[in-house]
Amino acid sequence: MDYDDSDRRNGPAGPAPAAVKFLIAGGFGVGKTTMVAAVSEVEPLRTEEYLTVASVGVDDVAGVAEKDTTTVAMDFGRITVSPELVVYLFGTPGQERFWFMWDDLVLGALGAVVIADTRRLQTSFGSIDFFESRGIPFVVGVNSFDGYQDRTVAEIREALDLDPRVPILMGDLRQRAVSRDVLLTLVDHLMDGRE
Amino acid sequence: MPISHWADEPLDEDEDSFVRPYTITHGRTVSAHGDDLTLITIIVTLAAPEEQFGTRGLEPEHRFILERCRRPVAVAEIAAGLNLPVAVTKILISDLITLGTVAARAPLAVAVGQRPDIRLLQAVRDGLRRL
Repeated sequence: MDYDDSDRRNGPAGPAPAAVKFLIAGGFGVGKTTMVAAVSEVEPLRTEEYLTVASVGVDDVAGVAEKDTTTVAMDFGRITVSPELVVYLFGTPGQERFWFMWDDLVLGALGAVVIADTRRLQTSFGSIDFFESRGIPFVVGVNSFDGYQDRTVAEIREALDLDPRVPILMGDLRQRAVSRDVLLTLVDHLMDGRE
Repeated sequence: MPISHWADEPLDEDEDSFVRPYTITHGRTVSAHGDDLTLITIIVTLAAPEEQFGTRGLEPEHRFILERCRRPVAVAEIAAGLNLPVAVTKILISDLITLGTVAARAPLAVAVGQRPDIRLLQAVRDGLRRL
């Protein structure tokens, strides 16, 4: 593994592990925190970030956009892979229009899971557009509580206008094994043709 | 003529919620190292708080960070533990970096649009399989 030691300083607490993250995206109430909770080794934590975003209306004379500050909340969890590597899972807040101004969201992100709800697939569009435009690999997890599913993978792929290479999985994301398999599928997707 | 007392004016709620956390940073909204810190930058305390000199005058929040980071944790975890916004937490961590009492490790560089290192992915996969 490419562990760059140049920025590592050893103190009494020992060397710090390297960190990467997965983003868990999707519409409000679709099950992002549920998935984080299913695989995290700790209870999901919540934190807030302030984002400074250009507001509507640009002052053409000064050439400076008005700036607004908004608060977004994130739930996140952690999987310690080894003493040298920790994986964080961040449930992304809604309001995808803010993500483009928020570099920290994607820093260190290996890839993303977009959780979809077949009753309101349109709530996934914003996340999919963002990851496609930023070139961040993602898979789609369709949350089907208790295994109930009213649409086929092909129907969902068409409705979401997804590239045929983007994996789609269905399952009850409350179950650790299901959420774990979604993440494993994402890692396999990242590895495609590389082994 | 009625005299309106300014202190009795209700604060604008939005403004209040953004301004209040910054009292902990004495009003500072930027810091020396804050821009280098990310949500998953790992922070580790370089010495136990009782062994450190020059830490007088630190806020209780600084001491919380020194205690919490005796085992390495991410900036986001520190913010959650302090119940403070990430932006404010970064300023407090930056103070401690300047004092030399904590060290920061940036997340593994994952270039957007480029596939990450295959050994990194294998390690992540092995970790997930153990869940």
